[in-house]
Amino acid sequence: MTAGRRALAFAWRSLVRQPARATLGILGVAAVGALLFDMLLLSEGLVISMRGLLDRLDYDVRVTATDALPGTGPTIDGATGVAAAAAALPSVRSVTTLRIADAAFERGGLSTRGSLQGLGGTSTRRPWTLLRGQDVGGAGELVINEAGARQLGLGPGSSVTVRASCSDQREAAPPVAFRVAGVVAFPFDSPELVTAATTANSLAEACAGLGAEAADFLLVASKGDPTATVADIAALPFALRAFTNEQVIGRLEEGGFTYFRQISAVLTTVTVSFALLLITVLLTVSVNQRLGEIAALRALGFTRARASADIFAESALIVGLGGLLSLPLGVLLAEGLDRILKRMPGIPEQLHFFVFEPQALAVHGALLAATAVLAALYPMWIVARLPIAATLRNEVIS
Amino acid sequence: MAIIDASNVSRVFPMPAGPVTAVRGVSLTIAEAEHTAIKGPSGCGKSPLLHMLGCVDTPSAGTLLFDGRDVSALSDRERSLLRLRQIGFVFQRFFLLPMLTAAENVELPQAEAGVPPGERRRRSRELLDYVGLGARADHRPSQLSGGEMQRVAIARALANRPRLLLADEPTGELDEATGEQIAALLDRVNADGTALVIVTHDHELANRARRVLTMRDGRIEREDTR
Repeated sequence: MTAGRRALAFAWRSLVRQPARATLGILGVAAVGALLFDMLLLSEGLVISMRGLLDRLDYDVRVTATDALPGTGPTIDGATGVAAAAAALPSVRSVTTLRIADAAFERGGLSTRGSLQGLGGTSTRRPWTLLRGQDVGGAGELVINEAGARQLGLGPGSSVTVRASCSDQREAAPPVAFRVAGVVAFPFDSPELVTAATTANSLAEACAGLGAEAADFLLVASKGDPTATVADIAALPFALRAFTNEQVIGRLEEGGFTYFRQISAVLTTVTVSFALLLITVLLTVSVNQRLGEIAALRALGFTRARASADIFAESALIVGLGGLLSLPLGVLLAEGLDRILKRMPGIPEQLHFFVFEPQALAVHGALLAATAVLAALYPMWIVARLPIAATLRNEVIS
Repeated sequence: MAIIDASNVSRVFPMPAGPVTAVRGVSLTIAEAEHTAIKGPSGCGKSPLLHMLGCVDTPSAGTLLFDGRDVSALSDRERSLLRLRQIGFVFQRFFLLPMLTAAENVELPQAEAGVPPGERRRRSRELLDYVGLGARADHRPSQLSGGEMQRVAIARALANRPRLLLADEPTGELDEATGEQIAALLDRVNADGTALVIVTHDHELANRARRVLTMRDGRIEREDTR
């Protein structure tokens, strides 16, 4: 048996000898490790989740009128012409214009508020997934999400009256009747928020012609090189800003997503520090209780390194076992916390705060390994510096 | 040839109230298979001297040679390996590891010395038979009496076939009858060829040795040889 395996076997017996101490240490590390794991999942979770949602739409470039994020700035005027010019670029496969208006939906005595999207452009692809019925085919048709269908009791073939608010003054346009072609899922759907979509022309009708040539942003599918597409669009003779998905994510990271990363960094530091203190205290108390034994082993010929290796192995076992236990605990905790956070209004159903990625697991393992090493340093120092003769003498006197 | 040759060794401990000299200019040799007892009142320097003889401590002054090698010139690791292979220790408080069985406690120094598992298991059984505990090999220390624990400790001390066995008050925690059994066992160990140095308050135990050193105030005051 190698010295390392001997130290591990010895440390295992030491842990079994004091089951309460071992259990306390392992459970402590498991709890702290679970929190640590969750903080690591949180630090990148929103970014990964948002990237997944953007990529799922199959559009890799977004175009707005200003540097504002899509949907938050002024509209693009003359959107049809802009879309046609963009679609003619050699690096572009297709372009969709998207205009979003606030709207009130009414059916029978039921009514609810939400948003109505109007899609135009050269693309036949739709930024949603059809669940029931058919896609928007012609004028006067819309698709609606599950929240809208549920709240108004709608299904394919139903009629719904829409009062769109298309100006900054939020004045509602005259009511327009639409036929529900199908029920769909939008990538950024939230459980309670009603979203419907129709063609750009139908939305223009619902807006009584107001802003008929405007779009909030364009969704562009490149032919494989979104960076080139962004450059091509920037060269068009329009005041436009184009962003790849990665650039959109980068801008989100500079904004609100930073808070989660900062919170995660602070809580990671706190949890690692707590684990470090817990294991250091447990090992130090254990070593101090066994000074006589350790001195006797040293007298019998155990080297300093060997006696210290036992303490390190004990730390590694406590942290290793606790760390393993922390993973399933962390996953369960992350699911619970994700559900709580997603109850915040306006959070898309498909967006997750805690997302697993292999790098988080690697960082979790590395941080716990560093904790095991650092936690063992002080008790190892006690063992290494232990004066054998004085300790044996003190043990007899005490 | 002498296993130990101590020449004018002293041991001074720094204390808050000033240095305390526990051992003053002691010279002695311990030969192969010799049986020596060191006795004297508490605080006379018996244990510090034993610790120097056992290479767990080094003299503040003087020279202590183990097998001709100056112990003070050895590194901590070299002294550890010297103790592992050449010296056995028996302590007043046994210091058996409670989570290991008697046999595993005896195996421990052998494992450290790199003895293969099969060989050390055989040796442990043999030693436990030797100290009369063959039937209790699988018992943990908590299942053994004080005398039995000291027997296991003696077996452990003999595990790597040391040339010198040092015992610090080996009967100090035992009743008279059990102490007598341990004393007889130590006599047997010595008779079988291992040099033995015992530190004790117990005059009867000391008087079993062929050479008895009486210490006072850190010095060897008297030496009696039978």
